[in-house]
Amino acid sequence: MLGQGFVSAAAIAASVLFILSLGGLSNQEKAKRAVWYGIVGMAVAVFFTAFGPGIGGYWWLIPMMIIGAGIGTYMAGKVEMTEMPQLVAALHSFVGLAAVFVAWSADLERRRVLAARAADGVMQEFSAFAALVATKAPDELTFLQIEVVLGIFIGAVTFTGSVIAFGKLAGKVDGKPRQLPGGHLLNAGAAVLSLLLAILYLNGAGFWTLILLAALAFFIGYHLIMGIGGADMPVVVSMLNSYSGWAAAAIGFTLGNDLLIVTGALVGSSGAILSYIMCKAMNRNFVNVILGGFGGSTGPAAEIEGEQVAIDASGVASALNDADSVVIVPGYGMAVAQAQSAVSDLVRKLRAAGKNVRFGIHPVAGRLPGHMNVLLAEAKVPYDIVLEMDEINDDFTSTDVVIVIGSNDIVNPAAEEDPNSPIAGMPVLKVWEAKQVFICKRGQGTGYSGIENPLFFKENSRMFYGDARDSLNALLPLVD
Amino acid sequence: MRIGAPKETSRGEARVALTPESAKQIQKLGHECLIETGAGLAAGFNDDTYRDAGVTVVDSADALWQGAEVVIKVREPSDSEAARLREGQTLIAFFWPAQNEALLEKCKAQGASVIAMDMVPRISRAQKMDALSSMANIAGYRAVIEAGNNFGRFFTGQVTAAGKVPPAKVLVIGAGVAGLAAIGTATSLGAVVRAFDVRPEVSEQIESMGAEFLFLDFEDSQDGSESGGYASPSSPEFREKQLACFREQAPDVDIVITTALIPGRPAPKLWLEDMVAAMKPGSVIVDLAAEKGGNCDLTQPDERVVSNNGVIVVGYTDFPSRMATQSSLLYATNIRHMLTDLTPEKDGVINHNMDDDVIRGATVTHQSEVTFPPPPPKVKAIAAAKPKKKEKEPTPEEKKATEAAAFKAQTKRQIGILAIGGALMLLLGQVAPASFMQHFIVFVLACFIGFQVIWKVSHSLHTPLMAVTNAISGIIILGAILQIGSGSAVVSVLAAISVLIATINIVGGFLVTRRMLAMFQKS
Repeated sequence: MLGQGFVSAAAIAASVLFILSLGGLSNQEKAKRAVWYGIVGMAVAVFFTAFGPGIGGYWWLIPMMIIGAGIGTYMAGKVEMTEMPQLVAALHSFVGLAAVFVAWSADLERRRVLAARAADGVMQEFSAFAALVATKAPDELTFLQIEVVLGIFIGAVTFTGSVIAFGKLAGKVDGKPRQLPGGHLLNAGAAVLSLLLAILYLNGAGFWTLILLAALAFFIGYHLIMGIGGADMPVVVSMLNSYSGWAAAAIGFTLGNDLLIVTGALVGSSGAILSYIMCKAMNRNFVNVILGGFGGSTGPAAEIEGEQVAIDASGVASALNDADSVVIVPGYGMAVAQAQSAVSDLVRKLRAAGKNVRFGIHPVAGRLPGHMNVLLAEAKVPYDIVLEMDEINDDFTSTDVVIVIGSNDIVNPAAEEDPNSPIAGMPVLKVWEAKQVFICKRGQGTGYSGIENPLFFKENSRMFYGDARDSLNALLPLVD
Repeated sequence: MRIGAPKETSRGEARVALTPESAKQIQKLGHECLIETGAGLAAGFNDDTYRDAGVTVVDSADALWQGAEVVIKVREPSDSEAARLREGQTLIAFFWPAQNEALLEKCKAQGASVIAMDMVPRISRAQKMDALSSMANIAGYRAVIEAGNNFGRFFTGQVTAAGKVPPAKVLVIGAGVAGLAAIGTATSLGAVVRAFDVRPEVSEQIESMGAEFLFLDFEDSQDGSESGGYASPSSPEFREKQLACFREQAPDVDIVITTALIPGRPAPKLWLEDMVAAMKPGSVIVDLAAEKGGNCDLTQPDERVVSNNGVIVVGYTDFPSRMATQSSLLYATNIRHMLTDLTPEKDGVINHNMDDDVIRGATVTHQSEVTFPPPPPKVKAIAAAKPKKKEKEPTPEEKKATEAAAFKAQTKRQIGILAIGGALMLLLGQVAPASFMQHFIVFVLACFIGFQVIWKVSHSLHTPLMAVTNAISGIIILGAILQIGSGSAVVSVLAAISVLIATINIVGGFLVTRRMLAMFQKS
């Protein structure tokens, strides 16, 4: 058995390693090292805690860890890069559920200790966490209860919310916003009820209050995320990421474990910042996204003049052959059509012909922050030609050809030109400033926001209809 | 049809309307080509090269005017030439109908159709026959060459063993086709070029050619695109401002090339005597508007004059003719394109289609009627370009003031937040036990570190970031480990399940992050 000194030292080391691990993600090369910091930090934390003072139950612990590691390895190896969003959501749900369980256990231990105290009035030997609880003063126990309530509530919302987000991202649940009659009033009602239960619990009601509390929070998580559409999932997933962190931090308070608190806070703020970035990229505020749906437009949308003109692969190919600079703007449609390797082949061919080919990535393209970058990286597109919106937006005027693959709202000029548009003010990629724009699209439909895209009607735009992968594969042999 | 090109009769004109090359193309349209003997000599094409191209060389002007059904020329016909026109004959040439009304009447009286190459409307479709532009291009180039010929120094700046040479400073006034060509030529010779135009929308074109646009801050700068891409007269106030700008430039520049023309009017006087006087000796002014009276006060058409202070003013009017080979090649191609439009079936039959915007616009007499001026073309010359609004640069004081205000507001907000936060902490400290506050300090600091660190994460790594944070949020496993050894069976079971799923999270999260990061490659 290792002493408490070892455990504390390990906690400090692990905290530092986790911070370094997140900080290292500032660029691609450092990131490869940074992930190792995280792994080592976690290994140190788990090892020293597991063999620290007052830990038992190794017959349970070790087999469970081995099984869990096996499942984790299998999942990580098997997942497709297009399935990353749902994997992340699924993993969030685990943290949420674990938080609920740990919080329940904490309360059960508290009750056991109190019961024992009341029974014989003398300190008996407790093992594990119960031993810690036994040393606590009454006011500390009250705070412990508050922490337990928070842990359960946040954990439970994270759990069902992540399960629904997973379902939506995996296409197992309909991606459209859907709510029970009563809408957000139901959520508010459930929240008020939860508060009442929490007060009851603090005043000494039984363990049933905590079970009911979890049930209500499960409902809120389910109902809240059901009401949010598929394209807002980047915000939802980041938000759930944040919640899973706060849940861990709450549990850290309960258990009096600083490492849990530090890690939870890091994860929580990371998710919060990601949600903020995503919301900013859509020019919407967080509450608006979470409450679901777009606000009503403030006036009639501007009339669109012109018509959508279609073009075939040979037309696109000849424009590409003449072009010197090409920018590709991918969106969720590229992921759906699994077109990233076709895109990569096209890029390789164009680059071999000495053309300047780059990618413009909008922050909310795809279903997860940075989703497009990962897909392109998987298809072996070098990351230094994959640029952010702010880096490339000024270059469109000097670009010969822009190819838009499966994105719509993020290239909608109405955001800049039409103050009545529901997406007015949202920062967009100004593809229409290029000499020619080809839009690779399945058919004449509107984007997620349900509004018409004037880009498709512009004089320099041509519609390249069809499945993105098939279209690009048809295009490949024609490009020289 | 027989297409014939006579020898140009006006003095000094070296160009010719038919080249061996264009003749071959015209024959493909089903026409026959004639040329007067010696017509191409001054432009570098002798009779034999024409014969080789299948052109019939005729001995005299008379024979040519008799034989040809379509006469193609460069300059407008002289009186004697006009007298040779006959009914049904077509003449294609520069005609300047607005200035040559008597000639127009005469041609009408003769019953001939006249197509004026200078009247071709400025629309995209007609660019290939826009002889004005092709001639202006040559004039702009030649103007720089003439300037260099008269200028005693290098254009480009050099540092040599024999001393340092500053680059020549060139000012181009009027950025039409000729002006832009002059800018391009002067910059490619290495000069520092500035350019001015009354139409602010051409600033982009000027800058694209490598010159600096002299921006005039004037409220209602005119929208030149309204008048088909040509400039129109400017208001007296504007003119004053413009002259002040030139006056400022005069002592600094070495070469001035003026190309300012307003259609159907004498050239505006833009480079006044006092500006010439302010220039350095040896400077050169090339006035491309000399034919229309000149932009410079001192300009004498067709003359090279030297001012009292040694400034050379070149007022030649025959720049294209000074490069006769080049301009004949381009002009003949313009004519050939016009004939292509006139022969839509390529069967050697001219179809003078008056419904066609371009042909209608260029035709000045047809079937014994004067058809000048033409109705406005259906297609607008240039898509009405909106003049670029220059954003007003805030003055340093204003900038400072706004910055100070922003800083103040930020300070206020931060102090407000800190005060509220401090008060909350104080309240919490009153009720919470000491052990809790200790953990709380850790929590708050960790949040701060988190915010600092995460802002630096690159956008493209947001997905790996989520996967990593996911993995480390599996730290909740510690909670389960702490509880698993409990005496209570329920607690142990719950803790065991937590250990299982948290492990999945940790291992899955880290491995998938590694997989993702390994994919990012540099090119």
